[in-house]
Amino acid sequence: MKKSLQGLFLFLVLGLSALAQDRTITGTVATKEDGAALAGVSITVKGTSLGTLSTSDGKFSIKVPSTAKVLVFKYVGYGSQELSISSASQLNVVLESDSKILNEVVVVGYGTGKKISSVVGSVTVVAGKTFEDRPIANAFDALQGKVAGLQVFTSSGEPSQTSSLRLHGVGSLGASSTPLYLMDGIPIDGGTVVSMNPNDIENISVLKDASATSIYGARAANGVIYITSKRGKLNRPAEINVSTQMGHSDLANEDFFNQFMNTKQISDFWVATAYRTQAQMDALLAQYPFDTKWYKSYYKNGAPTKQTDVSVSGGGGKTTYYISGSYFSQEGLAYRSGFKRYTLRSNLATTVNDWISLGLNLSMGADDRQTNPYGSNSTNRGLALLAAPFYSPVDKNGVEYPNLIPGWARYNPNYLADNLPSNGNNIQANPSGYIQVTPIKNLTIKSQVGMDASDYRTSSKQLPSYVGSLNNGNASESFSRGVTKTVTNTVEYKFSIKDLHNITALAGTEYIDNTSTNFSGSSTGQTDDRLTLIGAGPNNRDASSGKSEYAYKSTFSRVEYNFDTKYFLDLSIREDESSRFGKDNRTAQFWSVGAMWKAKKEKIFSDIKWLTDLTVKASTGTSGNSSIGDYQSQALVGTTQFDGGSGWFVSTPGNSSLAWETQQNTTLGVKGSFFNRINLEVELYKRDTRNMLISVPYAYTSGFSSITSNVGTLTNSGIDVTFDFDLLRIDAKKAYITPYLNINYNKNRINELFQGKNYWIIPNTGVSWAIGQPVSYFYPLFSGINPATGQPEWYKPNIIADKIVETQKDPNIVTSTFNTAALQQNTGIQRYPWLNGGFGLSGGFQGIYVQADFSFSKGKYMINNDRYFFENPNQFPGFNQSVRVLDYWKKPGDIALFPKYGTQFTQFDSRLIEDASFIRLKTLSVGYNVPESIIKPTKMIKGMKIYYIGRNLLTYTRYLGPDPEVDTNVTLGVNPNTKQHSLGIDFRF
Amino acid sequence: MKNLKIGLIAAVVLTTLFSSCKKLDLFPYNSIEQSQSFKTVKDAKTWNAGLYATFRGRRYGSYTFITDVQADQLNASLDFGNRNGNPHRWGTSFLADDGTIRDQWAAYYSAIANINVAIKGLEDVKPLDATETASLDRYKGDAYFARAFYYHQLALRWSKAYSPATAATDLSVPLITVYDVNAQPSRATLKQVYDQINSDITQAKKFLGAVAGTVGTKTFNIDVVTALEARVKLCMQDWAGAYAAANSLITANKYRLTTTAAALRAYWHTDGNQESIYECFVSKPNELANTNSIYLGLIPATGRFTPDFIPSIWVVNGYDAADFRKAIYFEPKAVTVSGLSFNNIVLVNKFPGNPALFTGATTNYQHAPKVFRIAEMFLIAAEASAESAGTANALTALNALRVARGLTALSGLSGAALISAVRAERTRELAFEGFRLDDLKRWNLGFTRSGAQDVNTINVGSNYNTLTIPANDPKFVWGLPANDVTINKNLVQNQGW
Repeated sequence: MKKSLQGLFLFLVLGLSALAQDRTITGTVATKEDGAALAGVSITVKGTSLGTLSTSDGKFSIKVPSTAKVLVFKYVGYGSQELSISSASQLNVVLESDSKILNEVVVVGYGTGKKISSVVGSVTVVAGKTFEDRPIANAFDALQGKVAGLQVFTSSGEPSQTSSLRLHGVGSLGASSTPLYLMDGIPIDGGTVVSMNPNDIENISVLKDASATSIYGARAANGVIYITSKRGKLNRPAEINVSTQMGHSDLANEDFFNQFMNTKQISDFWVATAYRTQAQMDALLAQYPFDTKWYKSYYKNGAPTKQTDVSVSGGGGKTTYYISGSYFSQEGLAYRSGFKRYTLRSNLATTVNDWISLGLNLSMGADDRQTNPYGSNSTNRGLALLAAPFYSPVDKNGVEYPNLIPGWARYNPNYLADNLPSNGNNIQANPSGYIQVTPIKNLTIKSQVGMDASDYRTSSKQLPSYVGSLNNGNASESFSRGVTKTVTNTVEYKFSIKDLHNITALAGTEYIDNTSTNFSGSSTGQTDDRLTLIGAGPNNRDASSGKSEYAYKSTFSRVEYNFDTKYFLDLSIREDESSRFGKDNRTAQFWSVGAMWKAKKEKIFSDIKWLTDLTVKASTGTSGNSSIGDYQSQALVGTTQFDGGSGWFVSTPGNSSLAWETQQNTTLGVKGSFFNRINLEVELYKRDTRNMLISVPYAYTSGFSSITSNVGTLTNSGIDVTFDFDLLRIDAKKAYITPYLNINYNKNRINELFQGKNYWIIPNTGVSWAIGQPVSYFYPLFSGINPATGQPEWYKPNIIADKIVETQKDPNIVTSTFNTAALQQNTGIQRYPWLNGGFGLSGGFQGIYVQADFSFSKGKYMINNDRYFFENPNQFPGFNQSVRVLDYWKKPGDIALFPKYGTQFTQFDSRLIEDASFIRLKTLSVGYNVPESIIKPTKMIKGMKIYYIGRNLLTYTRYLGPDPEVDTNVTLGVNPNTKQHSLGIDFRF
Repeated sequence: MKNLKIGLIAAVVLTTLFSSCKKLDLFPYNSIEQSQSFKTVKDAKTWNAGLYATFRGRRYGSYTFITDVQADQLNASLDFGNRNGNPHRWGTSFLADDGTIRDQWAAYYSAIANINVAIKGLEDVKPLDATETASLDRYKGDAYFARAFYYHQLALRWSKAYSPATAATDLSVPLITVYDVNAQPSRATLKQVYDQINSDITQAKKFLGAVAGTVGTKTFNIDVVTALEARVKLCMQDWAGAYAAANSLITANKYRLTTTAAALRAYWHTDGNQESIYECFVSKPNELANTNSIYLGLIPATGRFTPDFIPSIWVVNGYDAADFRKAIYFEPKAVTVSGLSFNNIVLVNKFPGNPALFTGATTNYQHAPKVFRIAEMFLIAAEASAESAGTANALTALNALRVARGLTALSGLSGAALISAVRAERTRELAFEGFRLDDLKRWNLGFTRSGAQDVNTINVGSNYNTLTIPANDPKFVWGLPANDVTINKNLVQNQGW
């Protein structure tokens, strides 16, 4: 009893003393960004287990012992903040969202990501707003001219067209030069991009140098494009975005289409050249008295574009979400061309407990697409302008001919589209999930799995009522499925020694496998337009299937070190194995070393006021390329059919020594900011490609035209310059004008070829590889039309075959006998543009903003094969021609564009290699953010934006063909790029 | 607790990693490794089927019509769209990088590469019984026959006409009898090439000796080899050999000439096979052949025709009114060219498409390619005899064919007049079967195109309807593909290319 009394006494005393020394601190916790109350913030007294949580309105109250000195405010997604306890008993705390910091975080090669300012590698981040609300399905189109060194071309006006990307020149003469595309860490196919919603993109990082890319080893030789999708933020009320947009498409440039002869011109020309007598011509015109602009029949104008996008994002205490859905539809200008896409995405992330977190991103897309099939060599569109202008698609009363156009003898393009439909349908699935555990402090173990899966189906038919095959229709269905699975496991440990030596070590494994399968079936003999499935066709039933696989297995490791966030050093190493190579050559190692110096942190610079930032970077390293077809190392026997049984033939000669193509990339960069308003970044690089995977040409006597082998070396070197500055910035009035310019100069040079050759002209392409030269056009060099004889003349190349690399342009050594093989020589024209970039400005005043983005390409040359058809009246008699052919030689002394009539006007020679350099106004957007004073009374709408956006509005080029942006060496019958005008409205609830 | 956590995680990670991995030793699903393809007689049979499929793909289409387009019997219509325009115009239009030259050269050599693989591979197959031995012999015989056939085709197009006096020095094509993708062969002489052809024919006769021919057969046999021998020896001016081979097939009386217009029509238009010593097996939809589709150009919507090439009037008029062939090889059609209608233009109708092979409502111009037929043997027998003063034999063979075609027998001819009559008959009988250009070259004749049916339907000018080609024009012999000449320094280009 006594004891218990003592105990009670003791308790009372202690209790009293505690009461005497404790005090209560109250206050609120809010976000820094918008002052919203934060619920569930953990508030603890440092060094004790005393703690509480903030209430739903952000208020808290905590009793603290007198010994307590510091309160810790902690909240997932908002970091933590420690505040010293002063005498005040009221404490209003603002926490800064990690997401602010997250925006600046980039994931450079696995790991947990870090601030861009501390990334040693060369990484350019393009913010999501660049891709938002643009009137095109393909997000990459908006990357054009946005990143120095990244060349982006969209090669046609098909609404489902993807872009071709090339970083720092063409990286290989044989294997692909396409960068590695990753979405949230999972490799995806370039085609996936068109099936996803651009508005889901948080940002796209372009990884340029070895320090950034080598960790991706396999397939990273051409750079890495890393797409990060949007995600929600913790403890944020739901934000609902609804945007909708409508617009229309037209031909981006009509100059090409307007250069054809009219009826008078063509008839005069035919009579003048005695191709037709006046009487014959009169008879023809009596029957066909029209004057038609044919392009208006083959290309629509004002084709509609629509899109609607809804997203909801936010988060609770432990879970964030971003959910979106979208609809996009665009009609192409050519008949049977269009794209309709539906997408759905859900990005979830949650913290299960203090050591496990996980996330799941689900992205689905479904689209219907049609592409006009009548391109190169087809007079149903690509070469339709060969139609003589005196024919007409409508009769004298303006009524459209129902199917065959008299005279022209081709079907009406819409009749073809209606009667020979071919509908593509793609289902795209990109799920990925991860689980991340932190068993001990600073140790992160992450396992991520993801998939890039597409299921593409084409239904094609020919209606039984099609007059080309009346009452005998056909139907075919093709299915193809591609699934790439990626499994990545990483372990990362971060630690610091004395707060000066910061070290992050990472190790991991990755496994990628792809299976592509296809299946198709068909039948003919359908007799009823209402019954056109395969089963309705009794004849020629056929089925086929295919399957192909590849796999990669990799292990990698990286150590990042920095001293006092001033001196940085990164080392990485990776080993890859690929199924594409033979057993003995399957494995390759790649490595990189990178260093960075934050010079501004040095004493000598820190005092220079006008110097806001100065950073110097250098890196070198290797990466690989295996972008060739599957099974090319194996000597294979393929199957064919004879007399109902199968037969064999040698399909692939194989090359058992086939191995990785490798590249070493060395980069030196300097980045500076001045007066806190001018930013300039300059980067020099050199990429050396070795053991290129080239389809080495073989004499046909071998039985093959080429065999893929590791041969040759290639160097790309160049400079990237990125520059922007605040021309005007008045924060108070929200007024700004920020022009920008980014530019890349790239030079490529072939150092070594195969079979001891000093050059190789790729047959029928005009493209040549010559040692010591960039990839160039080797073609007969046209010297002119001889004014005395009216004959075309070409420079004779050096008679020593090996010396045709040296351009011969002696006006006295010419010939009028054309011969492709005998006259081809170095034209001195490069295949790839040497200068690419973009410029523009963003500006704003109050709620109004303007964004104008131009992109340009200089030194871009293409062989304009269209002109071979449109400027060749002897080869294509009876067809319409460009008005340019009227400038032909008539009498001695004439200085003419074309020779005398009867001689072939146009040959495949240097005249067709045209400068397709261009400047394009890629995007122009003007918008108005409706001020809060107007929308606040609605109590529902938090933000509202009305805008106009245009794409490809202006094009400056000297190129004579339909579209300069086509990314090819020879262009024929392209469905050219389009321009869009769209109006949109975005709401935020 | 902590150890448990780590253990758990490690288990999860390792499970995901290893359960998902498949091997890196991946093999295709639509082909097998070459090293695994000669194990059994069944494998050998599959290779043999591949040989036939390849052979079918190298007859008709441009393999057959391109030399006729280049020769003197056709005019390019206004709507021919420059299809096959280069060989038709000769001169600077027709160059060593021409696609036709490249494709045919490449196709013959890839077929030869396969045969070389097969001839070697077949040696590795161990037959289990006499039936299997017989099968293997057939496959070997087929391979030797096909190789001889391809080398003959190559020699025809890429070397001068065979002349016994100069064959030992005239350059022909590279001879490759062993599969080696890295070989850089030189050109063999014409004599070497024909020695190889004859050697292969001898081998083929040995292995196919027991395989009897039948009318319209789908596989090679002793008669097919003999027919090739006749054709080869005619080209070599081995008149006795050519006559002996051709006459052995004629006198065997197994393959007979049709004797009525209806039978001849059925032979050409619906693939009746009476005259065929060998024609390729075809079946729709998966085993169709190349087509000679340049002559008609049916527009289904209107029922009118837009041909690429129109026969000259002298060609059509070269047939007597009584000649069965005239109405079968040709037909006046309603033609639309460049928007204008012409109602009676005579078009080549030798290959209108066999309705049994249509895959749509209208013609797809499909036929079973006729490779050797008995009529050619009569012509070879006649020509070889006429050239070697065997007037009686020549007239016998010539008249047998003439009578079968509805014409009267000729008599009293000899010497140059007889040779001329035989040549004219050969030109009529084999028209548009791909022989004309090679015959002109063999006979050392140039030509001038003439006699367009209606100049309003065709392209006119000195490189079209009035083109003159002397007998010594180098482009009678095709140039070696630019690709091969560039890569293989051991190859010498033909003169004039």
